Amino acid sequence: MPSLRELQLAFADALLADGRAVAAHIRPGRFAPERHLGVYRNNVHTTLTDALGDIHPVVRRLVGDEFFAHAAGRYLRAHPPASGNLHDFGDRFAAFLAGFAPAAGLVYLPEVARLEWAWHEAFHAPEAPPLRVETLARVAPADYPRLRFRLHPSARLVDSPYPVLRIWQANQPDYSGDAIVDLDEGGCRVLVIRRGFSVELRELSEPEFVLLASLADGRRLEEVIGAEVARVENIDPSSLLRRCVADEVVVDFSV
Amino acid sequence: MTRTPVAPGAATPTSVGVGLRAPHYRDVLTARPAVGWFEVHSENYFGAGGPPQRYLEQVRADYALSLHGVGLSLGSTDPLNARHLGRLRGLVARYEPALVSDHLSWSSIGGRYLNDLLPLPYTDEALAHVVGRIRAAQDLLGRRLLIENPSTYLQFGHSTISEWEFLAEVARAADCDILLDVNNVYVSACNHGFDPGAYLNAMPPERVKEIHLAGHTRKSYPEGEILIDTHNAPVAEPVWALYRETLALIGPRPTLIEWDTDLPPFAVLLEEAARARADLEALDAVAA
Repeated sequence: MPSLRELQLAFADALLADGRAVAAHIRPGRFAPERHLGVYRNNVHTTLTDALGDIHPVVRRLVGDEFFAHAAGRYLRAHPPASGNLHDFGDRFAAFLAGFAPAAGLVYLPEVARLEWAWHEAFHAPEAPPLRVETLARVAPADYPRLRFRLHPSARLVDSPYPVLRIWQANQPDYSGDAIVDLDEGGCRVLVIRRGFSVELRELSEPEFVLLASLADGRRLEEVIGAEVARVENIDPSSLLRRCVADEVVVDFSV
Repeated sequence: MTRTPVAPGAATPTSVGVGLRAPHYRDVLTARPAVGWFEVHSENYFGAGGPPQRYLEQVRADYALSLHGVGLSLGSTDPLNARHLGRLRGLVARYEPALVSDHLSWSSIGGRYLNDLLPLPYTDEALAHVVGRIRAAQDLLGRRLLIENPSTYLQFGHSTISEWEFLAEVARAADCDILLDVNNVYVSACNHGFDPGAYLNAMPPERVKEIHLAGHTRKSYPEGEILIDTHNAPVAEPVWALYRETLALIGPRPTLIEWDTDLPPFAVLLEEAARARADLEALDAVAA
């Protein structure tokens, strides 16, 4: 008779890795042990595949349900969930797809998965009140160079060598525009951020992206303006920053 | 928020609740249907912010709430997941639910979460283990849990106790309550060939604080049928009959209509709820 722990380890192996040890402990009846186990295996695979697909609807649409289920099955065996909260499942899906040989022809697929994971994280991220301009006005000018800004907790920055924003847009259920996306149109930089009840994807210019990325890294204002943004032509960091505060992309600061 | 705190037990014995799923948020907030209470899956609200929390705040302002967990993995021999319990405790503090429940099952082992309600062997070892886990979880949450009987699709050869005796003893020894899922009793009874009446008769009425009703699926194989607890259909007629039998045995209890996949329009859930309410009221009439 197996201990409870031995039984549970063998059971999980049967569902995730086709382990056979647990079959001997299943009471014989109308059905062979494998039939009983199959119900649980199917439940687990369906639940996890659906959860992954709900987070990655564009990836699923791009490859089709059957291919997606196959990829999800491989992923869940390689990286089974480490949490009892299904919203945590899929954090390594983009990286997995990058090494998934059957999808090697779709070079942009892992990038789309990365964008969808950012959307998912933004959707569930904490709330944050907007930054009150009066608070910022009380900072002594001498302290400006040392200011560090904090982006809204839902803000995610995604840059890609492929036009993933256009791919994402063209695969929304209500999209009615041109369905052809030319991969040669080049890469994009995207701010993913939750506004009210919805998550927005905003295409950023290179200076905007560089500015937000350095703020997100926790750089001091003098570093942000001095080093990163100054490399890029035709930008005015202070007006960009003002707009970030007004748009509630920047929600806090510290000296 | 304007709500007044709802004490445990505020879901009155003759009220019927409905499982609340994201596609129905707007219907509920617009129509404010006459539903006794709502139940949600706790884990769907483990995120720190965003629309799920905003909608639930609005629903909770007008309705009593039940938090139904699927991820505590109470039967697992892994250590209790402190992070999971911490998130649940945060939700309990935020929403002041009338009921908090999870299952007589396990869903994780070796740090891997299968996210399904996996069956326990009904042995003395498992009994002692589950009792200890439920006690620990209740201590950490600072309140009593309702434990639900799962649908099962296999039995272990070394089980020595029936599920109904096991559940009744768990409730007594852990001092927890029972969420009696009548559909699950029916599904397991069909799958394993036991008398559902024996199950109902073994339930301690004073500990049964909630009843679940849901739809199931019959899956055909060359050797026969297996019933699967899919929550994707109306409550089946034999389950309604078993529900009336349950009420006659243990008395009226808060009853939930659960529907999780292939969601119908919200009105269909209201029809199911009305049917459960009629059964509860018929019982009241008999009692009076």
